[in-house]
Amino acid sequence: MIRRNQRLRREYLYSKSLEGADRAQFEKKRRIRQALEEGKPIPTELRNEEHELRRQIDLEDQERQANDLFLFCCVWRLGDAVPTNIVDNEYATATIREPKIMLTTSRNPSSPLIQFVKWLPVNLNIMFFAPYCCSFLCQVISEIVEACRSHDITDLILVHEHRGKPDGLIVSHLPHGPTAYFGLLNVVTRHDIKDRKTMGKMSEAYPHLILDNFSTKIGERTATILKHLFPVPKPDSKRIITFANRDDYISFRHHVYEKPGGPKSIDLKEVGPRFELRLYQIKLGTVELSEAKSEFVLRPYINTAKKQRTLGA
Amino acid sequence: MDATAAADKGEAALKLLEYADPSHFLSPSADLVTAARAASQHIYSSLVPLSPAQPPSTLLTDPAFDAEQIWSQIELLARPLLPHLRRQLRRLEQQPPSQPQATLPLPVEKPADSEEEEEEDGQGSELDELKELEETDDEEELSDDEEDEEEEEEELDQRAHKGLEDQFLKIGEMAEFLDKGDEEEYGGGANRGEEKKATKNWMAESDDEGDEDRDEEGDEDLEDFEDDDEDGEGEDGGGIMYKDFFEKSHNRPAKKRDGSTKKVQFKEDTHTMELDGSENDDGNVEEEQGLSTHEKEQLKARAKIEQMEKAALESSAWTMQGEVTASSRPINSALEVDLDFEHNVRPAPVITEEVTASLEDMIKKRIAEGHFDDVEKPSLLPSKAPKEHKELDESKSKKGLAELYEDDYAQKAGIAPAPLAISDELKQQANTLFKRICLKLDALSHFHFAPKPVIEDMSVQANVPALAMEEIAPVAVSDAAMLAPEEVFEGKGDVKEEGELTQAERKRRRANKKRRYAASHKERPAKLQKD
Repeated sequence: MIRRNQRLRREYLYSKSLEGADRAQFEKKRRIRQALEEGKPIPTELRNEEHELRRQIDLEDQERQANDLFLFCCVWRLGDAVPTNIVDNEYATATIREPKIMLTTSRNPSSPLIQFVKWLPVNLNIMFFAPYCCSFLCQVISEIVEACRSHDITDLILVHEHRGKPDGLIVSHLPHGPTAYFGLLNVVTRHDIKDRKTMGKMSEAYPHLILDNFSTKIGERTATILKHLFPVPKPDSKRIITFANRDDYISFRHHVYEKPGGPKSIDLKEVGPRFELRLYQIKLGTVELSEAKSEFVLRPYINTAKKQRTLGA
Repeated sequence: MDATAAADKGEAALKLLEYADPSHFLSPSADLVTAARAASQHIYSSLVPLSPAQPPSTLLTDPAFDAEQIWSQIELLARPLLPHLRRQLRRLEQQPPSQPQATLPLPVEKPADSEEEEEEDGQGSELDELKELEETDDEEELSDDEEDEEEEEEELDQRAHKGLEDQFLKIGEMAEFLDKGDEEEYGGGANRGEEKKATKNWMAESDDEGDEDRDEEGDEDLEDFEDDDEDGEGEDGGGIMYKDFFEKSHNRPAKKRDGSTKKVQFKEDTHTMELDGSENDDGNVEEEQGLSTHEKEQLKARAKIEQMEKAALESSAWTMQGEVTASSRPINSALEVDLDFEHNVRPAPVITEEVTASLEDMIKKRIAEGHFDDVEKPSLLPSKAPKEHKELDESKSKKGLAELYEDDYAQKAGIAPAPLAISDELKQQANTLFKRICLKLDALSHFHFAPKPVIEDMSVQANVPALAMEEIAPVAVSDAAMLAPEEVFEGKGDVKEEGELTQAERKRRRANKKRRYAASHKERPAKLQKD
């Protein structure tokens, strides 16, 4: 079992390493195709490989393109043959299966934190909500991860706090998948909103998602990580969860909407906690691996830190 | 007589001031004030005739006038008078010491040690006088004494140089000129011979400084006097001879007041003492005053440099020491210092109403468009072939069991074709389609002729003559599909029509027919009878 896991992990990392070369190839082919379409001369850097690449382009079939379209964002045009094993390889099967999430907290959580975690709207498919005080749960993170893997859980979410205020969120995709580390700011829990009674119960329908302004590569990566925490919704669902990126701070909002006066008027009612997420690390491994390779690390103390927009313009 | 009466009054006032207890001066008292005014008036009037300019003849000392106003009047008199008197004094000094002029009281002239008390007294009185009149009359007294002295010196000079002088040469002026030259060369006369140097130093100094410094100098002189008195008493003044000083001085008239000569003497004393190498602040001061401006600036710069070097050698404050931990600086000192540094990190966004409103607008827009970023369901492409479901037909089979066995055997033997299953049907259809396509492609693409493949098909054949078919179909159509002649007519040999038959042949045919009919009819009536 351990060896098997190690082998799988190595496979995963190997395929990740290959994708770099693959992506480069794809880019070259795309450029050649574009040049051919527009009638412009082929870029001089590609002159040597042009013959071989054109042969490959001609043999690429439409079916391959259509097959993989659903895996990626709408950024790709339909005419391109998209490489299959790019970064979001881990999420290839996620669209077929429904996500199973384990939510847990750091050691000895305070009651406000437990309240916060309880009302996180990810509890649609929560199989285990274990705020770390339950006796059955393991104490060590590696054991937790092992237990989750054996139960076929897709994602593990850890929430950290500081004196009652939640301040950290770790989202780990389980079969060797990537881990995203977020810092939480400006947290407003449901508790803080005084008129709780008017809010009523939280709707349990599968929500629609809005991911706004994730335009860079890392932004898209974060978008997929957050996206695959939720299952496929019904088209007429009235519940909306928004992740809006403003200046590298992702605002989380949870609304329920109604259309009282016909399709034009929309009445938004805010429900659920509200906070800002700040991504500071993405690792190519699960939470328990300390030496996992970093895909992205936030660098706030370099001189150009103010100008950097890592998640999207 | 009025003048003498006034003079007497003045003298009396002076005497009163002189003998008053110093402690009385600390608190204002009316009679002291009147006495002071009277005294100053007396002195003023005595000096008026001597002044080269023409000042007002009396000093106005009404009670209405305050100290400032009286003083300004005195200054009016004193200002033009002082330089005049100084010149006279210098001339007097130049006189050879043989001139008998002043008759100073001996205790003052003698070396300090023996006559300390008297000197002290004299000095004390002089000091008192000085202090008393400081408010009103510092300079005036000094000038008074100087003036007297100079007067005498002038007389002496005139007597000595009458033979030499004429309208062009004035010994006094020559002496002045020479003095000035000396100053320029030697910078204040520190290197010259004792007596003359000393006196000249003093004189030069007094002359050099401008009018503005007069007052300062007067004060300085007074200070010097005070210091000097003590110094003069304490030290022996080695190398000073009686005749160096007092041959000149005992020419002066006895009526000279003690203070004046004393003053002169002490000044000279101090100078000689300085020259002997005694450290004297005043001497240093005077030496400094003799330095050029560049040297003065250099001294200042050097002092500043020393100060800065000293500061640099010391350890600096904690704020200037680079990385400082809490243990190396005083408690709470970081709170007092105004620390300011640039933050490179963008601060967390403050969620205001506008931000929330903008977010909600965006959300509403997206909802209206229906543009969500949900996880999309994948379009399922068949990865395996669909399973073949064998349909079980539950109706009773029409064929009997023997027939079923017969069919199986026929299949195995290959006589009858196998019964088609559902998938087989599809396959057959696919096969026929494919064969048709291949035939067409071959006909189009290959030059050599390949005949149409035999597709065994149960189909109705139209018995159309070949000619009609051949007209439409291409060459490739064979007439194998048409009916063969045996299929058209089955029979033997001589085939004759009705018209061609003979009688015998007709009869024969009829007979055959009857026979056949009779054979088949034998069976029939049996059946009919049964029914």
